[in-house]
Amino acid sequence: MNIILGMGIILVFGLLSGKLAEKVKTPAITAYLLLGIVFGPFALGIISEHIIAVSGTISHIALSLIAFSIGQNFSGKIFRQVGNQVMWISILEAVGAWLITLVGLLFFKVPLYMALIFGAIAAASAPAAIIMVVREYKARGQFVDILMGVVALDDAWGLIIFSLSLAISKAMYLDLSSSIGNVLMGAIIEISGSFLVGGVLGVILSRIGLFLKNQTDLLIWTIGVIFVATGISLHFHFSVLLTSMFLAAVVVNLNNESFKFFDILNHIDWPIYLIFFVLAGASLEIDLLGKIGVIGIVYMIFRIVGKFAGTYLGAHIAKSDDDVKKYLSLGLLPQAGVALGMALIAKEQFPQAGNIIFTTVAATTVVYEIIGPFFVKLALHKTNQIHN
Amino acid sequence: MYVKDIMQTEVISVKRGTTLTQLLNMFKSFHSFPKVPVIDNDGILLGVVHIRSFFEIFQPHNQDLLMRNPLSMISREPADIFNIDIEDGMGFLVIVADIMDTKVVKVNQNADLKKAYDLMQLHNRDSIPVVDDQKKLVGIISVFDIVMKIFKEKGLV
Repeated sequence: MNIILGMGIILVFGLLSGKLAEKVKTPAITAYLLLGIVFGPFALGIISEHIIAVSGTISHIALSLIAFSIGQNFSGKIFRQVGNQVMWISILEAVGAWLITLVGLLFFKVPLYMALIFGAIAAASAPAAIIMVVREYKARGQFVDILMGVVALDDAWGLIIFSLSLAISKAMYLDLSSSIGNVLMGAIIEISGSFLVGGVLGVILSRIGLFLKNQTDLLIWTIGVIFVATGISLHFHFSVLLTSMFLAAVVVNLNNESFKFFDILNHIDWPIYLIFFVLAGASLEIDLLGKIGVIGIVYMIFRIVGKFAGTYLGAHIAKSDDDVKKYLSLGLLPQAGVALGMALIAKEQFPQAGNIIFTTVAATTVVYEIIGPFFVKLALHKTNQIHN
Repeated sequence: MYVKDIMQTEVISVKRGTTLTQLLNMFKSFHSFPKVPVIDNDGILLGVVHIRSFFEIFQPHNQDLLMRNPLSMISREPADIFNIDIEDGMGFLVIVADIMDTKVVKVNQNADLKKAYDLMQLHNRDSIPVVDDQKKLVGIISVFDIVMKIFKEKGLV
């Protein structure tokens, strides 16, 4: 099957599976992932090897667009809008999940570079699954407001933690005998290079954007600059995620009408994400599923502990209600798209360990998507946010 | 030719604290709901209420933040307005500040007409609020105002 026919089939069936998922109250991303598994080489084999071969390019495009959108959160206006509680809780629950999952996996003899990546992926949550439950039960109240704010921001912190962890892991993995100094130097070059590329291109995107006069030019210019940033970042082995996020952060702080650069992408980004997640499902190595038992369970349990501890600490510092301290972390358990994106990057960067990471995260994503909404509902019940 | 030369200066605006019921009553006899500027007590432009703002009533708080994460896809689904719960007192409890759009495209009254037109094209808007140097609302300019101006010059009107 040629690539264009393959993409067409993925889009058509992706749309159908998304609608089906809506009927059974499951986020579309989970449906795309499962569709990928069904279409992939381990089942029907509709998605051939040479379509999977281009998935690297699709992944980089999708992830740079995701990171660019999430990067617009890094503005002074947003930080003032969300308030103290959301800031403290979102930062500490993300860091808590990272740190405790990292330590927990080290305890089970997982190598440090792998544990760092797992920890970072643990920080991510799934906004769609959480919003779905809030909507279904028409939940309202202060607890819901804080939950929504935290969910909105924690993927942003998660992407930063992941990018930093990945830089360190890569430096360690490439030269296992290298000193801490060398590892840190490698990581610092990757991170500062990303900031430089994102920063310079952010200024260019914003300034030249002032001269554009119609939506078509704006769309072409925005995508063009994002691709250039991603391409340069890949060429120099910088972080695609950090580059795109910093690009967005610069734009959003330089330009009063910066929303135009982000809103314009809404017209074209979803088909790319759809293909990205279906191909992610297709590249899942089902035969590895049997080998992830202990790591998978440890990852899931320590992530929950980390989310709870971080939320509790953040809520304590921000002087939140007891309800927020005790129950907010239950609302943060679903995990899907961003975590899978991170795992795909790990898969690409670490040939062997990456497969274990990706398979584990894909499998735990499905479990989290099943049990996660139950815990969100529990949190809403316990805090009296469901009024009927 | 400048924006201030042809803008509409009689503008109906609302305050942050205007309630949902007051807002609906103000515009119930209109053909369609217009773009309504929101101002503070000093007349500074804060945002705009438009027809899609009413859908915000059915969304959780911080929805605008969630929209920044493209993977919260569910939030792109249009609100199911045929199947909604309206609680007692909602008409008084929901205020303009809860639903207004703060992504405002505005133009200075001293700007060139061409600039106002380009801004409207770029942002796909039919009309935008006009402000003075202190960012106070002083009018609204629409594509129609500009078209009328050109037609008048050509002797059509």
